[in-house]
Parts: sequence; C-alpha cells; structure tokens
Amino acid sequence: MTFKAWLGLGVLLAVVVAALGAPWLVPADPVTSDFGSMLKPPGSAAHPLGTDQLGRDLLARVIYGARLALFIGTCTVAVTAVAGGLLGLVAGFVEGWPSTALMRIADVQLSFPFILLAMTINVIVGLGLRNIILSLSAAGWVVYARVVRGEVLTVKERDYVQAAAALGAGRARLLFRHVLPNVAPSIIVVASLQFSQFIVAEAAISFLGFGVQPPTPAWGNMLAESRDYLYVAWWLAAFPGAALALTALGVNLLGDWLRDSLDPKLRV
Amino acid sequence: MRAYVLSRLGQTVLVVALSLTAVFGLVRLSGDPVLFFMPMDIQAKDVNEFRQRLGFNDPLLVQYGRFVGGALRGDFGQSLRYRQSALGLVIERLPATLLLASTAVLLTLVVAVPLGVISAVRRNTAVDHAATVATVLGQAVPGFWLGLMLIYLFSVQLRWLPTGGRGGLAHLVMPSIVLAAFFAARVARLTRSAVLESLGEDYVLTARAKGLAETRVIAKHTLRNSAVPIVTLAGLEIGQLLGGAVITETVFAWPGLGRLTVQALLNRDFPVVLAAVFVISTTYTLINLAVDLLYGWLDPRVRLRA
Repeated sequence: MTFKAWLGLGVLLAVVVAALGAPWLVPADPVTSDFGSMLKPPGSAAHPLGTDQLGRDLLARVIYGARLALFIGTCTVAVTAVAGGLLGLVAGFVEGWPSTALMRIADVQLSFPFILLAMTINVIVGLGLRNIILSLSAAGWVVYARVVRGEVLTVKERDYVQAAAALGAGRARLLFRHVLPNVAPSIIVVASLQFSQFIVAEAAISFLGFGVQPPTPAWGNMLAESRDYLYVAWWLAAFPGAALALTALGVNLLGDWLRDSLDPKLRV
Repeated sequence: MRAYVLSRLGQTVLVVALSLTAVFGLVRLSGDPVLFFMPMDIQAKDVNEFRQRLGFNDPLLVQYGRFVGGALRGDFGQSLRYRQSALGLVIERLPATLLLASTAVLLTLVVAVPLGVISAVRRNTAVDHAATVATVLGQAVPGFWLGLMLIYLFSVQLRWLPTGGRGGLAHLVMPSIVLAAFFAARVARLTRSAVLESLGEDYVLTARAKGLAETRVIAKHTLRNSAVPIVTLAGLEIGQLLGGAVITETVFAWPGLGRLTVQALLNRDFPVVLAAVFVISTTYTLINLAVDLLYGWLDPRVRLRA
C-alpha cells in the first residue's frame, strides 16, 4: 500500500470509529437544546467545538452526522452495487432488446446531472432518510450497469467461459461462477469511487433543503443552518464541512489506490 | 460527416423526449399534483374546480398528449408561482448560468491544464507534489462548503468581495472559483496522467532526438496527443458542472437556472421543473455532441473512422 492509501485508510477508520462509538464518545445529546449556552465558541471543556444557535453541542452533532453520512453512503452503495451490478451482468450476458432498452434508459439518465436527478426524484418520492437512499440509488445505479455490462461483453468471449459453456454449464452457473468473479474488481472500484460521491451528494441535497430534515443532525442541513450565523459563528460552518471533506478525502484516497491496484484502466 | 451529425441530433431529440416523459410520468404518478399546489386550508370543491381547470381530471394519456403538444410548441404551461410562461422564466435565467459556467471552464483551462502539464514534466519534484495535494483536496472539498468558507474569509472578515448576487466582476469571482474547483482538480489530474503517458511514446523520443527544444516537444508533440482524453473528460464533466451550478448558485444567490430549479422543486412548481429539465438535458446533450465533433478535429484517426 502507498502512503496515500494508508492515510486514506487511517482517516476513514477514525471516522468509522467515531460514528460507531458515538453514544459512548460524546456525553452530550445532539438534539437537546440548551438556551443557557447558545452560540458558544469552540475551546471550552464542556463543548470542545462550541454550540449552535439552540445551544446544542456541535461535537456531538458532527459525530452523529458522521453516523448518518456513513449509513446513507453504505446503504446507497450496497443498493446500487447489487441492483446496477445485476442489471449490468444480465444486460451484458443476454443481448437483445431488453438490454438495449436498459442501456437507453441509462443514456437518458446520464443526460442529466446526477445531483439534480437525485434531487428531483427526492422531491417526488418525499423527504426523509429512507427516501434519500432511494433517490440516490435511483440516480446512481447507471454507472455500475454501464461498467459491468462493458466488462461482461469482453469477459464472456474469453476461452474459459466458452470452455465452461462447451462443457454444459448452465447460464446461471456461467454468469455467477465464471463471469461475476472476473468483473467483481470493477464493481469494487466503482463502489469505492461512488461512496464519497454519494456522501457529498446527500449533504448537498440536505443543504438545499431536501433530503434529511432538521433536527436530525446531518452535515448538509447543519451547513444550511450555519449560513444564517456566518457573521457571528464561523464554527457552525467550519466543522461539519471539514468532517465531510475529511471523510470524502479518506474514501477518495483509498478508492484511488483500489483502482490503481485492481483496475487501472477504469475511468469513472 | 453530415449523416453522422444528423443521426446524433436525432439521438439528442430522442433523449430529451424520453427524459421529459420520465419526469412527466414521475410527477403524475407521485400523487395528486393539485394538492401540492394548494394551501393546506382549502375547500374540497375549490380543489376540484382547480383540477378541472388545469385538466387533471382527464385521462393520463390525454394529459400526456396535451403536454407533448404544448412542449413541441415550446409551451410548458404557466409557472404556478410566478404566473409567467415556465419556459420563458427558464430561458431568462439561462444567460446567468452560462456566464458562470463558461467562466468556470475558462478558469479550469487557464489553471488546471498548465498545472497538469507542469506536474507531468517536473514529475516527482516539489511542484508536482504540491499540485497533487491541491488536486486531491480539490476533489474532496465539497463546493458548497468551500463557498461558505470563502464567503466567511473574503466577505465577512476581509470585506473584499460581495457575499452573493449578480453584479460586476467582483460578484463573479467566488462563484466561478467554487464551481471550477472540483472540475479543475479532475482536469489537472487527468492532464498529468495523459501527458505522462504520451511523454513515454516513441514520437516524443524522435522529436527530442531531432534536437527540438523541450518546449516545442511538449507543446507540439505531447499536448496535442494528450488532448483527446482531456476533452472527453471535460465533455462528461460539463454536465456535472451544470449540476454543480445548482448548488453554487444557491450558496451565492446567483440568479441562474440552477437556483430557479431548486426553488421550483421546493415550491413544487412542476411546469418550471419540466421546462428546466428540457433546457438542461438539451444543453447537456448538445455539449456532448460538440465534444464528439471536436475529436475529429483533434485526432484525424477518429475522422477516418467516422
């Protein structure tokens, strides 16, 4: 592993530990307001990162935000990898009008910026945690389907697949035993590169007022609220955004390394 | 060549038509559209009258037919909020977005491409390492946070630049930097790897063996050959640039298409949403077409195949 990959892994591990250990790491509750200590600057022992406009502890909110971001990122990556991966596998393996139609749908989706698509779907299906995962997935499966289909088209012509087919292996066996293991590295690489995109997109969508709604502490809606206090409380904007950038950085560094070592030709 | 352009234009029309149909379908399937537009305390008979007047009581297919007929004439209906033609509103905001996006692209070309080239030529020097750190950070830092931090630094603390809105050059500085940041980071990284790749080619060796000056080797023999992947990526990313504009415009209160779309979505002003979908997907596919045509000019081998 390279230095950058270690750095990425370290950052990501720190975020994961903070997210999983949130209830034990921070004594303060992220949604309880305390009007006695509003907009306190960072540095005090009780509130290391300060408090927000309702006196809520910012450290607790940032850490609980990590929980939410990682949860949304993980769920979305899982849903898109499985759904997009399966669709891509089948579309590459069974040529014919259904797979052509599927790829046309993918083209149409790609003719629209990802974030705007996810946001539009989010408005239509409704706000909330489950629906933001749904919207991001509906907008994000295309990349897997495309990459996997392209790989399958070449892999299925390889000798070992042809040989297995000649020996009488059924379609399902060919697909899952012989083709899937050979396209799996691409799926992993795409997943790692998509993960930070999903986290940032979720934050952006919540920032714009869709997605996760206050008082649930999400980095995006914390940043949205911080705009009104930019003149008096810089820390409200600085820390949630820094946490988001740091998480994205960790994932990106690790993803770059995964791509370089598994599939250097892939461009996503 | 003409056949190719015509068939691509046909595809563009198809893609735009399909995306409009998809959004139309989603909007109608997501429940009663009338209830979205109405205040909470409205009477049932008023709802019904509103429905009748907007034609929501007709069968879905009839509504779709009417929508298509209108769209073909450039009529997406009236904005439910502004009581103006939806498409007119969108078109009115388009120049602001195009100004912002083209400034961002210009900034990218002026900063990112030279940075990538220098990085590749001076590989593993301090310059290269600094550039790598900058591009890795540029890809990780979300635009809207960068925007907030710039506002804090340059508007709140230093009072050099306005916090938002559209006006003179000063208003354009921060939004275009924020919009360019992510794009520029990707382009710089790709330029570096594309230039590194072509520096290893035989024709570069030949050019050097001929005794050409290094600047000429880079400018004439390397950069021209690295252009294709850079242009490909740039074309793909311009669509995401339009997406980025949505967020940047909201942060800086820039009166463009992106901000209008966000407000229309928040207000459930669906005629405006549909008109915006139309304009954005048309712009995006036309940009991609232009990029594909640019290949032929950059790389004669592509011209032969087409």
